[in-house]
Amino acid sequence: MEQFLLATAFVLVAGAGIAAAVLLLRQRRATAALRERTAALERGLELREKELRHLADVRLPELMESLSNPGVRVARPLHDLEREAPEFARSLQTVTDLFAGSAARVKERADRSAKSTLRAMMRAVQSLANEQQLAISTMQERHDDPDVLEGLLRVDHMNAQLGRRAQATAVLCGSWPGQQRSASSMTDVVRGATSRIRDYLRVNLEGTVNSAVTSRAVEPVVLTLAELLDNAARHSRPDTSVEVNFRSTHNGVAITIDDAGVAMDADELQRASDLLSGEATVDIHRLGDPPQVGFAVAGVLAARYGFRVSVDSRSPYGGVRAVVFVPSALITEIPDERPPEAVPAPRPAAESGAGPEDGPSTAGGLPKRSRVAVAERPGGTDERPGTNEGPGTADTGEWPAARPARETAAGLGAWQRGTRSGRAAAPSGDAEAEGPAIESKDLRP
Amino acid sequence: MTRRRNERALVRPHVVTGGRAHPTRNVFDLVTLVIFNGDLPRHAGGTTPQTPRQPLSTAGLSPEKLRIIELCRGGALSVVEIAGHLGLPVGVTKVLLSDLVDDGHLTTRAGSADGRQSRVRLLQEVLDGLRARL
Repeated sequence: MEQFLLATAFVLVAGAGIAAAVLLLRQRRATAALRERTAALERGLELREKELRHLADVRLPELMESLSNPGVRVARPLHDLEREAPEFARSLQTVTDLFAGSAARVKERADRSAKSTLRAMMRAVQSLANEQQLAISTMQERHDDPDVLEGLLRVDHMNAQLGRRAQATAVLCGSWPGQQRSASSMTDVVRGATSRIRDYLRVNLEGTVNSAVTSRAVEPVVLTLAELLDNAARHSRPDTSVEVNFRSTHNGVAITIDDAGVAMDADELQRASDLLSGEATVDIHRLGDPPQVGFAVAGVLAARYGFRVSVDSRSPYGGVRAVVFVPSALITEIPDERPPEAVPAPRPAAESGAGPEDGPSTAGGLPKRSRVAVAERPGGTDERPGTNEGPGTADTGEWPAARPARETAAGLGAWQRGTRSGRAAAPSGDAEAEGPAIESKDLRP
Repeated sequence: MTRRRNERALVRPHVVTGGRAHPTRNVFDLVTLVIFNGDLPRHAGGTTPQTPRQPLSTAGLSPEKLRIIELCRGGALSVVEIAGHLGLPVGVTKVLLSDLVDDGHLTTRAGSADGRQSRVRLLQEVLDGLRARL
């Protein structure tokens, strides 16, 4: 009996021991698994923390920078997140995308508002410069004194530069050049551009070409040439000249501008040709100080109006050669600048005795002085003293002191004719006088 | 170069004269007559000693100067008329004219005193015409 009890107790104890051992084993396994998981989680957490810190400290600032400067590259994540934590990688991607999107929107809005503010300001400056130019022109016509005129020429020159600066800035901000002009010869276009730069005396225009720029392209081409000429003059020594030449080609006219200044290196040329292509967007916040707007303006205008501008370092004078190519589409015949009556055929003095009533008269009925042909004067004039020569002789022939009846009648007739045609012409004349008031306005469609 | 009144000249006067405002000679007033030398008779007396035997070359002249010569080919013109045709201020025109006189392209003659009297009548007629117009 006792033996039986002992055996039973032994079995029980052994069973309990086995059970305890099994339990212990399982527990140990579970612990090991748990430890492994904890370690994995810890690693994951550390990875995410590092990745987040990397995002905040490095990647987002770089992203920010890359928005305004396309050259900057944004760093990659530190780990291969796609493999290690795909969910986390997707979330990070969402964050960077949202950040980039909203930063770009903010930048765009800031850019737009800066441009529109600048544009509005420049429009005011431009119209003031235009008004001032008109006032200067009026004064130039009124004042004959060379000293006054000299001052006026200088003021005019400065005002032209001021106008150009304002115009260039406005164009960069998306405005139109805003000045309607009639078609002008190539020579006038280049000289018009020369009028607007500081060192205009150094520009040397060689040769002519028998074509003109169409009305709508005059102002943009003038502005482009002015910027290029200014660049050329500013980047070369003051004692060198800037050479301008025309070259007629099969489908247009090329205007070359050569300076004898410093050449551009490859990087500068690349940047210039990017700007001149008109494809690169111009960031008005990064023009530099002093702002370098020349190529940017030329590129914007060339792209908008369909001419081409290029620069290279192949100038025969060692500097930079800029070429503005104006295609046939923007070229027209030279407009006949002379009104038909400006150069009347010389009238022999003998035939001009009839008096001014037979002479040409203006649309308003005002008599026009008829020209005296010097070469065909009657021989008698040579006997007179030198000071009395000239048309005075012929005038005396036209208006004898005695005043014959025929002349009186003719005078009255002219008066009546003048009255009639003057009244008839008045309304159209007024309309014409008010016509071109459009110039200082912005001509955007 | 008739220009609409409000249109600003594309080529500004400082480029036309190269920045100069003082004529090289002070012989011009508004009615001084300007004559193209090529038109002068060869035997013209002492008033034009520099009459050229052959026309001077016009190469290298600015467009405005060429235009003045072209205008003056038609006969004598006064300074103020030339300025009007060119659409340039009189002071600027004088600078160009004195250059051309220096080069021997042009000759000047003072406006005639005899013409004054008849000009009064012409002016009267201009005045009448203007009154009719306004």
